[in-house]
Amino acid sequence: MTASALDIRHLSVDLGSGKERRTVVDSVSFELRRGEVLALVGESGCGKSKTAEAIMGLLPPGRSRVRAERIRLGEHELKDLPSRAMRKFRGRDISMVFQEPRAALDPVFRVGQQVSSVFRRHRGHSGSKARTASAEMLLRVGFAEPGRVMRAYPHELSGGMCQRIGIAMAMACRPQVLIADEPTSALDVTTQAQVLAQLIRSCRQEETAVLLITHDLGVVAQYSQRALVMRQGKLVEEASVADLFTRPHNEYTRSLLTMAQAGMA
Amino acid sequence: MREVMRPLARKLFQALLLVVGVTLISFLLMVWFGPDQTYTLIGKNATTEQIAEVRHQLGYDDPFLLRYGEYLLELVTLDLGVSNASGESVRTLLARTVPISLVLMIPGFVLGNGVGIALGLASAHRRGRRSDRLITALSVTGMSISFLVVLIAFQVLFSTPYGLDLFPVRGWRVSGWTSYLHYVTVPTLALLFVTFGYNTRFYRALFIEEIGRDHIRAARALGASESVILWKHVLKNSMVPIITRIMFSIPLVVISGSLLIESYFGIPGIGQATFEAITSGDQPVLKAVVGLTAVAFVAIQFLTELLCRRLDPRLG
Ligand SMILES: Nc1ncnc2c1ncn2[C@@H]1O[C@H](COP(=O)(O)OP(=O)(O)O)[C@@H](O)[C@H]1O
Ligand SMILES: [Mg+2]
Repeated sequence: MTASALDIRHLSVDLGSGKERRTVVDSVSFELRRGEVLALVGESGCGKSKTAEAIMGLLPPGRSRVRAERIRLGEHELKDLPSRAMRKFRGRDISMVFQEPRAALDPVFRVGQQVSSVFRRHRGHSGSKARTASAEMLLRVGFAEPGRVMRAYPHELSGGMCQRIGIAMAMACRPQVLIADEPTSALDVTTQAQVLAQLIRSCRQEETAVLLITHDLGVVAQYSQRALVMRQGKLVEEASVADLFTRPHNEYTRSLLTMAQAGMA
Repeated sequence: MREVMRPLARKLFQALLLVVGVTLISFLLMVWFGPDQTYTLIGKNATTEQIAEVRHQLGYDDPFLLRYGEYLLELVTLDLGVSNASGESVRTLLARTVPISLVLMIPGFVLGNGVGIALGLASAHRRGRRSDRLITALSVTGMSISFLVVLIAFQVLFSTPYGLDLFPVRGWRVSGWTSYLHYVTVPTLALLFVTFGYNTRFYRALFIEEIGRDHIRAARALGASESVILWKHVLKNSMVPIITRIMFSIPLVVISGSLLIESYFGIPGIGQATFEAITSGDQPVLKAVVGLTAVAFVAIQFLTELLCRRLDPRLG
């Protein structure tokens, strides 16, 4: 068993085609260790989401290009995997939670159908077995009455509830890696902390490694062991959280820290 | 139950108001300011008394509301008078011609939308790739050729010795499935050819919008296959615009589509009957067609509303 859950070497993403082509992720390399929480920070538009989508294989092939020397998930090389094979890993071994929790759920299906579909797909569960597993999973992310949530449609639920459901679906198959892309930025301040605490708790239980994308340095300090700093598509710093806050190497990191302090004051 | 009934009752009330509105318009256009038959009946050299007499018999001197009420009653009871041209009762004329138009138009209409949805889905799925560009090129070509040219070309191609010579040039002598297919094939292909471009473009744009939604990316991130994405998530989320488009194009296709196709192929449907009524100024027939089309529009709007509520929980 390798020590890293995710091993990324020289990952680049180009968007658009022809003259419009732009490199939005530029030769990014990092390693996510088993069970750790690794933060990825950087200002809006620096390429954090595209990095995540490239790893997940979610970028549209016609209008984007992903190049990498290595995208390893545990023992598996995901680079250049045909989409059919890649699909088997998604939601089972590597999963993702998104920024807009309500928009990430299908508005015309009940929550129960959506959660169950993950168990049917990856575990081959039948209808009733998938429903039982879904109810259990929803209990574990903090729903006291899973039956009621399962009958609801997403528009009937709060953003915080939708994100708990997102977490339940992403964690349903106990993935090795969870990429959480600003999972609480769209929620109101009071629920942010609870939902994030729930996400981290679920991942600890399942020993899932987390790539936590955020621009909240408070979150970085509280939950992660190490952090990556990204700027204009490039990683400019990789440090333990203790070092990041006390001895930032990079000028840009220092300015981020100063800005954060100014914002908090 | 009350919560369910209240919006329904409101919708029904709105539909009723709409019926009053559209029938009022068609009454004004077709009856109140419509053609005056006095002189057709008594000639040009009549005395004032004769004119007044005839106008009285025709009911032209009745007050507005009474005449509108009578018009509504005619529509509701389907007691639509007799055709000036043939003396046939308008109700029998409708019963004779409308079914022909329906069986003539339905195959092309269903196929047109089915092909449009299938090609639109394929095109949206392979957006920017070669197959998408091919489908787009075909659609634009289809859209840019005039209906009349298509009709003539298809007739020559399928129904004359210059082409395949497989189908009748015109007419409608249908007495069973074989003869039905014999007569319906060329009009269906022509209709399909002229509509598939518009349908494909519409459905492609719709599906591209749906494929771009966050929940589609989220479903992919959880390992959903492309077929589940397209057939389950994209299609179900697109149902409301699909149903709306289909429902609202029914009256247009039946009336204007059949108007052209039927007069061109000499098929005795409602389109041809309407065409003849227009050219001969056969007011009772026109009055019935316009009034009933308006009522059909409102009925369709009401049905569409109900259907969409069932399909999208956010509307319910
Ligand atoms: N379809 C696209 N075509 C070209 N550039 C894009 C497209 N989508 C996003 N971008 C650019 O890619 C960059 C990275 O975006 P993203 O990864 O979403 O940033 P972040 O998540 O860090 O806020 C941004 O500068 C954005 O403007
Ligand atoms: Mg982002």
